[in-house]
Amino acid sequence: MRAPLFRRFAALAVALAAIGTARADDLVVSAASSLTNAFQSIAKGYEAAHPGTHVVLNFASSDTLLRQIVNGAPADVYASADQVAMDRAQSQGAIVPGTRVDFAGNQLVVIVPVGTRTRVAALGDLTDPEFRRITWGDPASVPVGRYTQRVLQDAGLAARLAPRAVLAQNVRQCLDYVERDEVDAGFVYATDAAIAGSKVKVALRLPSPTPITYPIAVVAGSRHAAQAQAFIDYVRSAAGRQQLASYGFLAP
Amino acid sequence: MRLDIAIQRHLDDPQRPFALDVAFRSNVGRLVLFGPSGAGKSLTLRAIAGLLRPDRGHVTVSGRTLFDDFRGVDVPARERHVGYVFQDYALFPHLTVAQNVAFGLRTGLCNPSRRRLPDAARHWMEVFEIDDLAGRHPSQLSGGQRQRVALARALAPEPQLLLLDEPFAALDTALRSRLRDSLVALQERLGLQMLVITHDPADVEALGQQVLEIRDGRIHGDARSG
Amino acid sequence: MRPEIWQPLLLSLKVALWATGINLVLGVAVAYGLSRWRSRFNATVDALLTLPLVLPPTVLGYYLLVLLGRRGVIGGWLDDLGLNPVFTWQGAVIAATLAAFPLVHKAARAAFEGVDAQLEDAARVLGLKPLAVFVRVSLPLAARGIVAGALLAFARALGEFGATLMIAGNLPGRTQTLSVAIYSAIEAGDDAGANVLVLVASATCVVALLVASRLTRERTPRRAA
Repeated sequence: MRAPLFRRFAALAVALAAIGTARADDLVVSAASSLTNAFQSIAKGYEAAHPGTHVVLNFASSDTLLRQIVNGAPADVYASADQVAMDRAQSQGAIVPGTRVDFAGNQLVVIVPVGTRTRVAALGDLTDPEFRRITWGDPASVPVGRYTQRVLQDAGLAARLAPRAVLAQNVRQCLDYVERDEVDAGFVYATDAAIAGSKVKVALRLPSPTPITYPIAVVAGSRHAAQAQAFIDYVRSAAGRQQLASYGFLAP
Repeated sequence: MRLDIAIQRHLDDPQRPFALDVAFRSNVGRLVLFGPSGAGKSLTLRAIAGLLRPDRGHVTVSGRTLFDDFRGVDVPARERHVGYVFQDYALFPHLTVAQNVAFGLRTGLCNPSRRRLPDAARHWMEVFEIDDLAGRHPSQLSGGQRQRVALARALAPEPQLLLLDEPFAALDTALRSRLRDSLVALQERLGLQMLVITHDPADVEALGQQVLEIRDGRIHGDARSG
Repeated sequence: MRPEIWQPLLLSLKVALWATGINLVLGVAVAYGLSRWRSRFNATVDALLTLPLVLPPTVLGYYLLVLLGRRGVIGGWLDDLGLNPVFTWQGAVIAATLAAFPLVHKAARAAFEGVDAQLEDAARVLGLKPLAVFVRVSLPLAARGIVAGALLAFARALGEFGATLMIAGNLPGRTQTLSVAIYSAIEAGDDAGANVLVLVASATCVVALLVASRLTRERTPRRAA
């Protein structure tokens, strides 16, 4: 029909074909979204320490990454935001169990909009009628939601706060709700609150009954197992820990 | 015998079941199939052209069998060499007059070029005096002009039989009688066999050398023979 | 422009163009087939082909992953051939193609059904084989509707996120399309970066649709004439 139009499209397609072509010797690291900034910096450090290697980072929620790996996505390293996702990966044979190790820790915090006057000295203060809506991650799919759920259950508050819950699909959604004053309080990690900076107020730091830890492991069937192990070693090295600490992560 | 037709076809439309059962032979140049709308005239034309498959029967044109269920013959429409002028002419709206006329001269995957016209197309456009309309699109033509384009398009591939479905129904009365005369003159000049279907007695009067009346899917005898 | 912006932009354009091209061939072929060969399964087939419009893209992506992953039915077979679409830009093309398919298919279907069957009959009587009837009559007459559908499909493919993230991942410079880059910037708390990417994505879509509408308008006089 209109040959010139299609020819123009074809030329553009050919010109674009060079972008994003896969290179087989890259190390693919699948990491939980909450690790985005820290791992970007760690990857640069690792590449500098290991010239000639190229790290490709893949960020998504821990559960999305898990589904990708279980279905044979060609990832080499898996860093999850909690043990449950990693346990599932292990039980489905998606990781090499001997390589699994905790590399960072975190802390659950209660954040409130910056204008909030009411003081939150203890978890029980959230039962105050002023906190009409409280957000945390959906325990079904968001690791920080699972921690929050456990903390609330241990404090005997789960049932009382449930009617006020606004379950979010990811931590970022929790932060946005609090930032924009759509909810009166929220549960996130200390590192997430640090990203939001002065846009939210950390009202309370919570000691977790079970330590919040981030596991990392080599993916089963990785074609770069030795490099993957070297990356994990780097994350746990002094340099790696320092970078993690600079984004608010604790030692495991 | 130039035309030998026997067609049986059952249509089981739940609203209006219809049985077509027609048989006729003809040797004349201008055969008219006359009857009210819904009598089965168009179905008969479609069956002859290969656009409708009869359940039983045969279609023979100038000694060539185009369809015969008994012998398992069913020549596809594209190989029947039958010209067809549709009731509302069915001109291709995306092509010019010249491209419409040249359409059947090349049967490959490309439509005829707008500029380089085959000689045969030029010839038929001159015959029908539409050469000055060559670059126009069908939507820019009058009814009479459209009919002439449709005739030129149907005749350009030199068919053995020309089928015309109510050729004057879309035109105003003044134009009809003039075009009837020129259609008769054309047929006599080309010596081609023509089968016209119509519900208009005036068409029968002007065109028919042999007239068959059709009602409810059946032929009701020769109305007039010649 | 910084690579964080032009890489996802070029990748998105590449993926959307491929997806649109594949859908033009596939969607048009299937639509023509369904509009010409009637059977009692038509409605069912049509409903199935519309599913990508209804299902959440993440779910679509999950099923793609299950099918095309190294441990999947098709993926295992592809892997034996040395092909693995997961975490590749080709994977993103598959996701975008599937998500945008119903838009081309529906538009093409309606366009073909709007073509007067008598014109196709006229072409057959004039000696054309079925493929020639399609190329010379049906396709040009349905072209406007098909192009309109392709434009929508292009926009949809450009914005595809859920299924793309699942099957192609979020690999910067490799499979990180504009939509995925926006998601990543927001996750990383980089609101300024996200805003720039959103502007680029919106501008790209508006420009693409304007260019396309001009391309189709150029032909209007002779079509309407």
